[in-house]
Amino acid sequence: MKALMSLGALIGVAGLLLLGGMVLDVVPSTYIRLVEGYMPIQMLLEVACYVIGFTGLSYTLNAMGMAIPRFWQGIGFWVFFLLYLKYRMYPPIPFSVRAMYGTVSLVAVFMWVSASEEDWQKFKQPIMNVLDAQTGGNRLLRYLYLVLLPILIGGFSFNAMMPKSEEPIELRTVHPAPPASTKVHGKTYTLQTSQNPYRVNPEGKYDQEFSNANIVEQGMGRLMKPNANPWDDKNQGYLKYVREGGEIFYQNCHFCHGDNLNGRGLHAFAFNPIPANFTDPGTIAQLQETFIFWRVSKGGIGLPNEGFPWASVMPPWEQHLTVDEIWKVVLFEYWHTGYYPRTWD
Amino acid sequence: MGLLAGKRVLSIMALCMMVGLLLLPIVVALPSLAIGEEAPAGDTAKKDGDKVEKGRDVYYKTEGIVVGAPAPKTVDGPRDYPRYNFESRVLLWFANQQHLYYGSFVLAVPIFCMIIEFMGVVTKDKALAKRYDQLAYDFIKISLTAYSLTAILGGILIFTFLTLYPAFFSYLSGIFRPVMHIYALMFVAESGTLYIYYYGWDKMKEGFLKWIHLSMSVILNIIGTLLMFLANSWIGFMMSPAGVDEQGRYLGNIWHVIHTALWNPLNLHRILGNMAFGGGVVAAYAAYKFLASKTDEDRAHYDWMGYIAMALGVAFLIPLPFAGYWLMREVYAYRQQMGITLMGGLLAWLFIIQATMIGILFLSTNYYLWQAMGRMRGAEKYQRYIKYLVFILACGYMVFITPHTMVMTPAELKAMGGQQHPVLGNYGVMSAKNGGINVIITTTVLSFVWYMRGNKVSTVSWAKFGNIFMGIFFACAYFNIIFLAVYGYYIPANVRVGLSVPQVATTLSCLFFMFALNSVMMKGAKQLGPIEWGKISARSQYALIMLATAFTWMMGLMGYIRSSVRLFWHVNEIMRDNSPWAYTHTVGFAANMISFNVLFFWITILFVFWLGSLGAKKVPVESKAGIPGSIPQPIASH
Repeated sequence: MKALMSLGALIGVAGLLLLGGMVLDVVPSTYIRLVEGYMPIQMLLEVACYVIGFTGLSYTLNAMGMAIPRFWQGIGFWVFFLLYLKYRMYPPIPFSVRAMYGTVSLVAVFMWVSASEEDWQKFKQPIMNVLDAQTGGNRLLRYLYLVLLPILIGGFSFNAMMPKSEEPIELRTVHPAPPASTKVHGKTYTLQTSQNPYRVNPEGKYDQEFSNANIVEQGMGRLMKPNANPWDDKNQGYLKYVREGGEIFYQNCHFCHGDNLNGRGLHAFAFNPIPANFTDPGTIAQLQETFIFWRVSKGGIGLPNEGFPWASVMPPWEQHLTVDEIWKVVLFEYWHTGYYPRTWD
Repeated sequence: MGLLAGKRVLSIMALCMMVGLLLLPIVVALPSLAIGEEAPAGDTAKKDGDKVEKGRDVYYKTEGIVVGAPAPKTVDGPRDYPRYNFESRVLLWFANQQHLYYGSFVLAVPIFCMIIEFMGVVTKDKALAKRYDQLAYDFIKISLTAYSLTAILGGILIFTFLTLYPAFFSYLSGIFRPVMHIYALMFVAESGTLYIYYYGWDKMKEGFLKWIHLSMSVILNIIGTLLMFLANSWIGFMMSPAGVDEQGRYLGNIWHVIHTALWNPLNLHRILGNMAFGGGVVAAYAAYKFLASKTDEDRAHYDWMGYIAMALGVAFLIPLPFAGYWLMREVYAYRQQMGITLMGGLLAWLFIIQATMIGILFLSTNYYLWQAMGRMRGAEKYQRYIKYLVFILACGYMVFITPHTMVMTPAELKAMGGQQHPVLGNYGVMSAKNGGINVIITTTVLSFVWYMRGNKVSTVSWAKFGNIFMGIFFACAYFNIIFLAVYGYYIPANVRVGLSVPQVATTLSCLFFMFALNSVMMKGAKQLGPIEWGKISARSQYALIMLATAFTWMMGLMGYIRSSVRLFWHVNEIMRDNSPWAYTHTVGFAANMISFNVLFFWITILFVFWLGSLGAKKVPVESKAGIPGSIPQPIASH
């Protein structure tokens, strides 16, 4: 047990040094890489490692007779987590999310330090000592707080009220609600029931399972499946349509959406927000194929007005492409990203 | 003997009367189902042959004879939208919300009474039985005052509809006429049953009569539940109309109009929601009384009452997210754009707030349980592990509340390099959120298990094996839930939706198997000390108040979301809202309005509690007597 705790303490110290380095900009945030495809769970695992490390550290210090008071343990952990979010995570997390996480972690710290009466007494003892001011030091601290707290709160208020030159926050929603049906080139498509006419099996019938089996593999490599190369001239049917969709994509879409469909095309950074990243599991992977068909056809200008502002400059592609071409582009996007269109069965 | 027989006859007659009252509205309403005013017109039309006009049901796709008028095409003006110099929608919102709060409360509390009275009847310990009985009586007493207020608020709601939205209400009542009559008559039956149930409490407190009394509570709850189902059919129709053609003309099949796409999930969600809400309100009442108590005895009583109410409320809170998930799934299946508006589009921000509130509910529950462990000797062995539960809960909570689209300044957006954050963006979609909430619920179950065994040591021969098994079971459950949440990103969306089933099954397995196993292990267990009722921290009581407030706020929020998803429709895709208020409020305005409704409800319910305390009935002396600290132990823990 002792050895385990010592190991934990070692992890805790190493982790703190690493984070300290990141805060002081000695160690880059990317020193330990966030691995694509595993980032979300990696973050949770890292924080879990820190918690284990802190447990070990606390145990070891306790055994050495240098126990950290519960008050400082609580405050220390909270500060650690805020620093972790600010300096370890990249790309930078927006303030709103850090504020949410900061509040949750503060509540969590409160729940921890007040879970039992004994812990709660230990935690609030330093606060009570300062309030009671029985010693000279505590009396001094009390006066300091009396002066500093109003200044601090006043400073926050001043900062909050001060006019700023930066653009205001927009509560933008990524997925606008589609209409029940859409009319493209004179034909009405019901979004709930329409199907991509090019998602077909060798017999020419609509077959999502067949197409799913031929898309690129998901994950880091995004490799093509064996015998499923659309650029092989011999391929017919689904894979041929994917190729045609790819040609249309690279002639029209990749300038903004990028040649890897990750929203980082040549012109992407001329826009704010940059174009949609199709490789993100939160975009086309969440949607029905007909939704994409509608979005491509109608573009930013055709978005419903109940969710303004949409901040989309995508042109209404129905003015430039045929219905068949739009369906093929959609087919290609799913093939290339390795995602499956959403279905409701 | 003769007196007893007479009492039995009387009670059976009373019961028959209750059943009669229950059936009366159905009998009265039947003719209007079969030969309502429209029906002869239909018959006549049939006879005329060529005059028969048929319509196609917008949902069931069946053909039916048109028997109703089309939905009115309203115009903004005093005829369709008469108004004060104030937003009519806000007035209606207020009236509706208050009626719903009270309605939920008075439907939930009798269910609690039924459960607690039953516990009292079957408990062998006389003192404990009396205490349960007293508790059930206290509950129904609170509910009775609230019942009158519910009826008054219902009247206000109808008048608000009639005076501010006459065209819409006329259309709705035209379609639901027989249902509304049944509803009104069932309300009479509900009132009659409730009054007999309440005033007959003392007369029917023993023996066979007690069973009759108990069965009356069952009838009371059946009527109450049916009442709610009928009211749900109206909102179900407004969201997902059926039984009418594209013009909104009624096609003569009342069952189609009632049984819309969303009716069943709404019913389930509301039953569970009402129960959780009712538990929360009663727990808050107990917490308030606890904090205001002057004697240890009172503190012990209200501590116990708060625990029972909390346990009942949480028992219904645990399945509530799953019912909500089913409702949302049905919404998506009914109309994709409605689902996206709710969870990915215009109203998505409100869902983030909802997730936050759900998290608060579970966090408060866990916190209360940990505090409650402080009043039992022996629970210290679990308290030192609480910090790990806090960590797990916080992680699950953070994942659960992470928005898919983050609030950010354009500068932050640029720095992030795109709308989706590569790490946190993945927490924003359903797969991760399912994992988050299941982790939270499983942890709540674990907290309950710890609480239940807090002051006990199992004496069964296989105790060690049992403990190891439980530990492994929980570890596997966490692993499975998290694994499925991650795996969900690598499979098609329709399959991913299906993953929620094994995740929920894992959580429920923990709930049922672990509770059952724990109960078996703790049978005849060695007691390390009694539960010292009343010796709980004040913080725990604030947690209960927090729980109740969060319930109330969330109910207001979800009601607003459910209603707003129709956007500019009175009846979705059938009757358009042409009033000047057919737009969606800002998140800030909605939050303020919900807060106002919550505040108003709590002020008035405090008044109700105060009224209840005016005629407070003292706890019977014999039930108060006993060894200090041995006040009856709650059913959930023993």
